[in-house]
Amino acid sequence: MYGISLSSLPLSAKVFCTLFMLGIGLGSLAAFTQAATAVGLSYGDVAASLAPEMPMTHIGHGQLSAEKELDIGQLSQAAKVWIRTPLLIQTSHTHLFGQTLIAGLLGLIFLFSSLGEWQKAVIVALPFIGTLMDIGGMWLTRFVWQPFATLVLAGGSLFALGYVLIAGIVLYELWLKQETHR
Amino acid sequence: MKPKPLTLWLATLLLVLAVGVSLAHITPPVVLLSDREAVLGMTSGAAKFFVREVRLTPEEQETIRQQCGWRPEEDIYRFYFGRDTTGRLVAAVAFLTEYTIHGPVRVAVGFDADGTIRDAKVVELTEETFPWLKPLLDLDFTRDYVGRNSRASFGLSERVTQTPLQSMPQFYGQIVASLIQRAAVLFEVTVVKRPGSA
Repeated sequence: MYGISLSSLPLSAKVFCTLFMLGIGLGSLAAFTQAATAVGLSYGDVAASLAPEMPMTHIGHGQLSAEKELDIGQLSQAAKVWIRTPLLIQTSHTHLFGQTLIAGLLGLIFLFSSLGEWQKAVIVALPFIGTLMDIGGMWLTRFVWQPFATLVLAGGSLFALGYVLIAGIVLYELWLKQETHR
Repeated sequence: MKPKPLTLWLATLLLVLAVGVSLAHITPPVVLLSDREAVLGMTSGAAKFFVREVRLTPEEQETIRQQCGWRPEEDIYRFYFGRDTTGRLVAAVAFLTEYTIHGPVRVAVGFDADGTIRDAKVVELTEETFPWLKPLLDLDFTRDYVGRNSRASFGLSERVTQTPLQSMPQFYGQIVASLIQRAAVLFEVTVVKRPGSA
């Protein structure tokens, strides 16, 4: 792009791009581990953490109280997190800022790869679309329909796929691809 | 090719990214106790378990606001009741959360049938708030509220205030104490005071 290619970057820029990719990759692994331990990675785990908290009794509108016997096994034994709406708001704004900035800088480096425009356009969009699906899926699961939890899983996977493709192509072009002189 | 401006450009963007992320971060939740562990631990002597969900009347909301300055905003509040084989209420547990700027702090509070606090535990906080509350959790500071009821004082106890603590542990300790008080008032208003409710 604009006559600049990743393979022709000076050493300092190559080191910068490589370490940035490494840092983001390690951060993503840590985030993946955090998601796996705090929420879980299956559809059921995500749905249970995000689906609206429904009354456990049949308390009706205008009714002041209701009670029913509880099988203690119904209560969560695992120390998993149910994401309450205020936490969902916090999570949304921080992740939208954070992941969009990460996707932006990843994409900025990737724009200097030597792939064709269409290929670049598709790959550079993956982390952004993944982020929107991920966070959007959380809200849709909470307020619209529980099966939208699949969007959270798909969005996270899309972000990861985008990162892997971008990092793989960028690192290849930085360090292995021969510079082509035009 | 102009490598120097490009490197500078990328470095500036990285700095912007780092500042943005650090300003916007939220730390992951730390769950200290599952709901089941809390309920089982606070209802010893119970043979059967029940879930009671309550809705506050405007008068009850006002009573709570006057008593502890808290405006309950949820449509429904939930208690877990432990009863003996005759159906008598042995103990109840409520979970309440405060959404602080550093993330949620959630406590479980156990009550005797008359509203006396029988136990209280912090069950969930965040990685950021955990180190602040850790010195207080090590002191088992929630034990200080056992035996009190909704009319008692819910400040930090003398043994806690005499411990050299920085401002954030004291701040979050007060938040936990306030949650315990809210739970106590909520239980009194919606269970103890409602005729035939327990």
